[in-house]
Amino acid sequence: MTRYEGNISAYKTISILGHCFEGTAVVHLAKHISSGAMVAIKKFDMDKIKEGAHLVEREIILTKQLHHSNLITYHTAFVSGPDVCVVSPLMAYGSCRDLLSRHFNDGLPEQAIITIIRDVFDGLDYLHRKGYIHRAIRASHILISAAGRACLSGLRYACPIVLNGRWQRSIHSFPATNGTEPFAGMSKTLMLTEKVRGCIPQLLDSTTLPRNENMECSGDCEVSNNVVNRRFSEDLHELAGLCLHREAYDRPTAGQLLTHPVFKTHKKSLTLPELLRPALPLSDRVAYDTGIFTMKFFNDEV
Amino acid sequence: MPLFGKSQKGPAEVVKALKEAVNSLEKGDKKAEKAQEDVSKNLVLIKNMLYGTSDAEPQADIIVAQLAQELYNSNLLLLLIQNLNRIDFEGKKDVAQVFNNILRRQIGTRSPTVEYICTKPEILFTLMTGYEHQEIALNCGTMLRECARYEALAKIMLYSDDFYNFFRYVEVSTFDIASDAFSTFKELLTRHKILCADFLEMNYDKVFSHYQRLLNSENYVTRRQSLKLLGELLLDRHNFTVMTRYISNPDNLKLMMNMLKERSRNIQFEAFHVFKVFVANPNKPKPILDILLRNQEKLVEFLMRFHTDRAEDEQFNDEKAYLIRQIKELKPIPGH
Repeated sequence: MTRYEGNISAYKTISILGHCFEGTAVVHLAKHISSGAMVAIKKFDMDKIKEGAHLVEREIILTKQLHHSNLITYHTAFVSGPDVCVVSPLMAYGSCRDLLSRHFNDGLPEQAIITIIRDVFDGLDYLHRKGYIHRAIRASHILISAAGRACLSGLRYACPIVLNGRWQRSIHSFPATNGTEPFAGMSKTLMLTEKVRGCIPQLLDSTTLPRNENMECSGDCEVSNNVVNRRFSEDLHELAGLCLHREAYDRPTAGQLLTHPVFKTHKKSLTLPELLRPALPLSDRVAYDTGIFTMKFFNDEV
Repeated sequence: MPLFGKSQKGPAEVVKALKEAVNSLEKGDKKAEKAQEDVSKNLVLIKNMLYGTSDAEPQADIIVAQLAQELYNSNLLLLLIQNLNRIDFEGKKDVAQVFNNILRRQIGTRSPTVEYICTKPEILFTLMTGYEHQEIALNCGTMLRECARYEALAKIMLYSDDFYNFFRYVEVSTFDIASDAFSTFKELLTRHKILCADFLEMNYDKVFSHYQRLLNSENYVTRRQSLKLLGELLLDRHNFTVMTRYISNPDNLKLMMNMLKERSRNIQFEAFHVFKVFVANPNKPKPILDILLRNQEKLVEFLMRFHTDRAEDEQFNDEKAYLIRQIKELKPIPGH
């Protein structure tokens, strides 16, 4: 197994992929020198981060304690100068939001949507069973690997359901970015009805992308008219309807959603990379661009 | 016995099965794979008894009481912790969840698990050395912080030699482990005010000579965190004696004055909160007064230009104005 050293000199930075965390973190494309593996290194400038330092810490510690093929993994995290550096595998297609804004302005093809949300539900189901709710499911937090595997990231707003040695019956703390999360007062089982509603309209149609990240979970994320006009299968419409149910109590859990017929009738004739064409994974583009790498590949949130 | 499905195992059986599985995992015989499986399976059974599942409520108090008793009698908690590195990834977290739940158990005002651990302090020492091992450090941290909530257990940890290893753990190169160790370290030094104050007073020299190294650490995060914690410790009124001692030492003042000039603004800001205590002291010892007098003009000038962009931070600005006034008004002690 490759050992990823906790030392910046073990990596060669190639280019900047994007910025995140309100501009205080930079994501670099880099090469792990001893193994040759391509990685993403997120550098948080701790001297610029004032209130959010504990969020950086929390996200790293939590992510390190989770193992699932549909959740982002970190190879290692270390301090270098004033930066906290997080090394993770390269997710070569970037986030779903990148795909939407760059290649699929009218939304992703149905087969791609189904493949992606199935992975998302799988990751989410694991997270819930481990006693956490994600609280920030959005297109920019769904990353796609070169092989077409979707991974959830953005665990800094995740919140434990098990506190003080007990499952909590309700959660009254809200993520910093949004005060209207509808979890207060829900029972244990129902709380698992994580708001997957946010991601579905986003994947169906980028026109529902909120202008401002902070506005996203305002609690009334409706499917826009464009989506209604697009022709999707009955099953997918039904699935989206279930996720968007106004009453939180009536929304199914991620685990229940996985048994939805849409995933059974879904034909796996094409793989996700095939479905995502003409979008290409990053490594292919590096080759295509003959190593000259000036384009900004990711929009902002990675 | 139910007609369909497996009969439910009682606490005694599950604990016995888990203990056997951990023992054979420890021996590492050829049935290791099977043992691993059995450990995971039985841990989940115990966890479900305590927490319930999405379909089932936790077990009744009487069953939980039996389970706890079996865990104490079999010495299984220690055995699990000693073999934590051999248990699989999810199993390690289950151990922590079971441990934390059992620890919180109460009978009236008594906490039987806390009493039990007081008689078996090796549980605490084993958990503390867990920070030496990457693959179990975070799991041990989760359990240690739960232990630190209880004064009796915090006391055992604070007064042990192993406590001083924390000064090393908070600086390890792996960020998540260092951060986790720092949270535990901070919890131990701040949670139980009187216990902590007594501990710091009695062990002042040893603790602060170690602490000095953190303040001079090469690791930016360690330096910033430890400086912030120092400020919190000194400003806590329970630690009055410790504070008085700290601000009487001219070396400490020099260190803070240098930190005020560090490149990092966050470090400057944290240093300000320690520096202000030296200046605000109404009974400054002569060596302290001498340093301040020697730098009187420079300090006033420096502070006038210090973090002027924090206009909206009223408390900071009040404090800064107060310090400037105090320093301006400093006069040598007559007769010297």
